[in-house]
Amino acid sequence: MNSTKWTQRIALFICFSLLLFVMSCAAPNGPVNMPGENPKVINLEYWTPFSGGDNRFMTQLVDLFNEENRHIQVIQVNSRLDDYYSRLRTTILSGSAPDVAILHQTSLPQFVQNGYIENLEAPASAVSLDWDTFNANILESTVYDDVPYAVPLDTHTLVLYYNKDHLAQAGLLDAQGEPLLNSGQSLEAFLQVLKQKLPPEIAPLAQPGTRIDSVWLWWSLYNQIDGGGAFYNDERTEVIINNEKALKALQYVHQLYNEGIIPPNINDAFKMFYDGQAAVLITGVWGTGAFEEVEKLNFGVIPLPVVFDQAAVWGDSHTLVIPTKHGMTNEKRNAALYFMKWLVEHGAKWAEAGHVPSMTSVVKSSEYEDLPYRSDYAATANYVAYWPRHVMQWPIVEILIQEFEKMNYGQQTPAETLKQTQSKINNELKE
Amino acid sequence: MRTRMRKVTEWFKHKELAKKLAIIYFILIVVPLSIMIYFTFTIFADKLEQKVGDYQLQTLKQLTLRMDAYMEELDRLTLMPYQYEEIMAFLNSKREHEQPLTLEEIKDLNNFVTQVFLNGRIDIVGVSLFGEYGASYVVLPESQYVTTYSIDENATWLQQESLGYGQSTFVATHNIETVNGIQYPVFSIARELRVFDSGKKLGYIVIDVNPKFIQQILSEVTLGDREEIFVSTDEQQLVAAKQTDMMRSKLLELGLLEEFEGVTHAELDGERQQIAYVTSNITNWKTVGIVPVTELTKETVVIRNTILIIGAVCVVLAILLSTFLAYRITEPLRNLAKLMRKVERGDLLVAFPVKQWDEVGHLGNTFNKMVSRLSELGYLLYETEIREKDAQIAALQSKINPHFLYNTLGSISMYAEIKGNREVVTMTNTLSRLLRYSLNGRKEWVSLQDELNHVKGYMTIQQMRYEDRITFLLDADDELMDCEVIPLIIQPLVENAINYGIDRGKGYGEIKLICRRDEHKLVVIVSDDGIGIVDEELSKLQWKLKHSKDIGGSFGNGLLNVHRRIVLHYGEPYGLVLQNVEPSGLEVTISLPITAKKISH
Repeated sequence: MNSTKWTQRIALFICFSLLLFVMSCAAPNGPVNMPGENPKVINLEYWTPFSGGDNRFMTQLVDLFNEENRHIQVIQVNSRLDDYYSRLRTTILSGSAPDVAILHQTSLPQFVQNGYIENLEAPASAVSLDWDTFNANILESTVYDDVPYAVPLDTHTLVLYYNKDHLAQAGLLDAQGEPLLNSGQSLEAFLQVLKQKLPPEIAPLAQPGTRIDSVWLWWSLYNQIDGGGAFYNDERTEVIINNEKALKALQYVHQLYNEGIIPPNINDAFKMFYDGQAAVLITGVWGTGAFEEVEKLNFGVIPLPVVFDQAAVWGDSHTLVIPTKHGMTNEKRNAALYFMKWLVEHGAKWAEAGHVPSMTSVVKSSEYEDLPYRSDYAATANYVAYWPRHVMQWPIVEILIQEFEKMNYGQQTPAETLKQTQSKINNELKE
Repeated sequence: MRTRMRKVTEWFKHKELAKKLAIIYFILIVVPLSIMIYFTFTIFADKLEQKVGDYQLQTLKQLTLRMDAYMEELDRLTLMPYQYEEIMAFLNSKREHEQPLTLEEIKDLNNFVTQVFLNGRIDIVGVSLFGEYGASYVVLPESQYVTTYSIDENATWLQQESLGYGQSTFVATHNIETVNGIQYPVFSIARELRVFDSGKKLGYIVIDVNPKFIQQILSEVTLGDREEIFVSTDEQQLVAAKQTDMMRSKLLELGLLEEFEGVTHAELDGERQQIAYVTSNITNWKTVGIVPVTELTKETVVIRNTILIIGAVCVVLAILLSTFLAYRITEPLRNLAKLMRKVERGDLLVAFPVKQWDEVGHLGNTFNKMVSRLSELGYLLYETEIREKDAQIAALQSKINPHFLYNTLGSISMYAEIKGNREVVTMTNTLSRLLRYSLNGRKEWVSLQDELNHVKGYMTIQQMRYEDRITFLLDADDELMDCEVIPLIIQPLVENAINYGIDRGKGYGEIKLICRRDEHKLVVIVSDDGIGIVDEELSKLQWKLKHSKDIGGSFGNGLLNVHRRIVLHYGEPYGLVLQNVEPSGLEVTISLPITAKKISH
């Protein structure tokens, strides 16, 4: 009797100890850590169209941001401007748009009207972005019906870069090393002197025959003429560029090509100036940062000279937007805005590329003022001739480019060009 | 070895039964358990390594398939020039160095490149067209097109045979430089373009792709914490790596990746590494995954430890349980042994509690029966002893107090002394001694000397009675005097000789007593020269000596008594032998073992 009790006790003890053992064995297998995965990181795909020297500065900014903000990682995808809008259109239409994209101010109407980009009001307040800190002119171009659709990053205009060595060789530098342009001498005469005095392999003025460059120059000059710059009729249903003032400006441009001041068949004017093969280059401010990098290049920069009656110059803004797509979360929106805010606050760094920052505080900062060259053209922001705000503006500019290319390659006269362009654009607008 | 075995066996033999059982249980549990654990673990570890290898190979295959799908997509782009007549015409055109493009050409080429970019994925960064007759159109990141570049005739990919059949070739990651001097890592897909009508070579198209997509695919796979995953060409040029590719060059040295795909092991970086690799059908690139074997078998260590711990716990439990069981099983036996020792000490009031009807139960039962039987017998013996004692006491009571007898004899002797009767003195003293010897002795053993002295005393008295009619001759070896004998065995024979040899005969005679040694026997011979015994009676007497256990009959009562005592004491071979002697008389021979310690053989 007693011994059976004992046996039972021992059996119980063994069972219990086995159970304990099995349980203790099972315990460490419970939570398994997945190494190298941090679920909190938000990845943002960020598309940019920088093809001048400015992309490297954006890359540096993105790298800096990624370093400073571990929880948001921005992946920059850059394409050349030629394909950028085609690509962006395709991804937006296919519902696989990037999280953040650069849009030119000119393109905004189209994207806003079609609902391709998001209203930024809520996410901006979530990251407490103060709209009042922006330059009022630039900010205005991003607001549609009192709704902000984009965060302006910069303003960029056409400027005139000159190679001091070549200008000195042609005797066109004054005692201060400034080009002898403002002392009543016309731009054309100035360039003619360069053409005569410099060896033939050096381009007096480097401008590509293709792409948008001649359109920019024409738009600037057209706006310099008193009463010029008209683009649409009042109803904005037709363009009205086939007029005398527009022709006058275009003929001026055409003459530069025709007289050989701009040598024919230039493809990469930027590279020519970069390589010291051009005396003067009229291009956007984004060249400054790149040219600074070249040791052998002794260059200067001035605003585009007034050829006609008043100062005016083509300009545009890079703005930051969130393309609409399915599955966008508020978390991502806020992260995107956080990144945008960070970018504009670091405008001085972006200004190293050459652009004029969008935040007034940044423009006034000593960090920006200490940069050389920039102050030489900072004032151009005051007389920027933006493209008119129109849904079809970007495609219309593309038609301008096509027609101007034909003119540059001698296939049509300036008058024909304007006529052709106007009718083509109006056909487009009718559809 | 054998002696050791024997020693172990001996040692084992003398162990307690419980310990034996415990040891056997222990061996029976631990040995198979250990063997099982050993084989389970080794087989498991082998299988696991094999499985992990297979799994990695599968993973890499999936990876490669994904990359191949992507590569096929890119590959299709290199066929695009065939759909653009203008491009084919451009490549076929004869061109001077730095010959500018016409506006149409620019448009066509730009349109074509844009189509390539748009049809391809976002990570295409460059497109190059090289004509056989000097045409060139190169688009690099962040730059405008360049028409002055020409193909590097020494590029290794140009030497590829398959290129001549129109197949595309994949070029490992290399750097291309923008006009701004910025380096871009790209891998390239190149294809030779030909004219079908003439079979003539037209030129090449090269598409440069950012390898980050491959990197991204690679980074989605994890083989282990210290893995190395990369894609490389047959010549071990790197295409893309997940993180590092430090072991890539060593692989080339070792020439390990000979097969199309497989899993192999090698000592790299001071560690045994498992290398799985798959070759792509599209690119001929190898996707390689390298993981230290210790990394892979990390889990097996946990499992091994678990098995070992379980094993150890099982062994400990087995030891405890087997010891417990062994002691439990042998407990009744030990109780039985304890009881037996009690019985040995004479305690018969014990009983084994029989609880189970197995062998032990039967044994206990038998033991109980035995003990009860023993105690019965003991009781009988006890009773007999008591009776005997009682009888002796009764006998003593019936006898005259010996002291009173000795005192009386002493008084007689003194009176005789005073009266000057020497004979009476001698007789009384001798009688007194005889009585003392026979009554007071009660010793179990006496020396032959004592026995002979007694006989002498007895004969002194008898000689006084018979005066000169009896002659007594004693012949004994001195060396036998210390032999131990049981008392009062010779005197009855002498008495018998006097009674039968002298009294019943002629009234006088001679009695001879001889003690000698006959090998291992002590022989005492008592003989007379009387009339002897009739043969018939002698044989009757001899039969009685041999068979009877009674002590009865008139004649020979004393002889029979002596004989029985000797037989009881020493066993059958000893005792008395009777025989008639010539010319007349009876001879009685006692044979005894020589038992004195002093006398040796």
